Amino acid sequence: MASVLKVNTLTGVTTAGSIVVTGEGNSTTTNLQQGLAKAWMNFNGTGTVAIGDSLNTTSLTDNATGDYTITIANDMAATTYVCSYESNPDNANVALGGWLMGTFCASGSSGAPLTKTATAIRSVTRDIQGSSRDAAQPGIIFHGDLA
Amino acid sequence: MSSELIVDELTGRASAGSIAVTAEGGTVTTNLQQGLAKFWVHFNGTGTIATQDSFNQSALTDNGTGEYTSTFSNNMNNNSYSTQVTGAESGSEGISNQIGTLQRNGDYSTSQVESNGFHANSNADADNQRMMVNVLGDLA
Repeated sequence: MASVLKVNTLTGVTTAGSIVVTGEGNSTTTNLQQGLAKAWMNFNGTGTVAIGDSLNTTSLTDNATGDYTITIANDMAATTYVCSYESNPDNANVALGGWLMGTFCASGSSGAPLTKTATAIRSVTRDIQGSSRDAAQPGIIFHGDLA
Repeated sequence: MSSELIVDELTGRASAGSIAVTAEGGTVTTNLQQGLAKFWVHFNGTGTIATQDSFNQSALTDNGTGEYTSTFSNNMNNNSYSTQVTGAESGSEGISNQIGTLQRNGDYSTSQVESNGFHANSNADADNQRMMVNVLGDLA
């Protein structure tokens, strides 16, 4: 008979923020908290930008063409988290390759410093020629430790 | 002393699909269900395409050169889920600058997502030996 645990919150006993889970191979364990994505967002980056669906985010800012800042609600513990930003099809610009590469601001579109803090990250989408372009449906995911 | 819980299934008590997990810092909580990947696949998109490993995928369809459809076993709740696609060329026989991305004008629905292998230099679809797709979002 399968057992079902009904619970509202899981907290580690030894360390509140650390629970191990037996892996699929039934031998090693993995860490529940560290395996969870801590934030993600799907948004429309064209026209008036709009968040489609998200976890642990507070806002999306349109800085310029193809240039966005995603701000999260509960901060990351450090700036060394992993963040993936999806390259995105550019349905309207087939002649330019028809896709946009998602990346992060190295120096900002106007020479501003890199924005990757425990609270926010600034991302850009560019076409095959390196020009910034608005993206219709980018996806962004954060993995790492919450503060 | 460590404590061990042996269980087959976790369900939220107040809301079946929502369980909070105390985060690494020991203060705030994050959401278990929303932090879990709801779909992922690694497939070979060359020749007769083949799924290498996957989670929550019922079918993988070859729509043409560099064009693929992954059908979910359990549908997403909406089409606002977040997707990541990565692709790589065909080893030593491949051509450089191939990428994986979402399919241009492709289906992005609650039941399936279309991915695309693309060669940037030639501006054309291309089969990728390694295609990887993962999805985060809400299940129906």
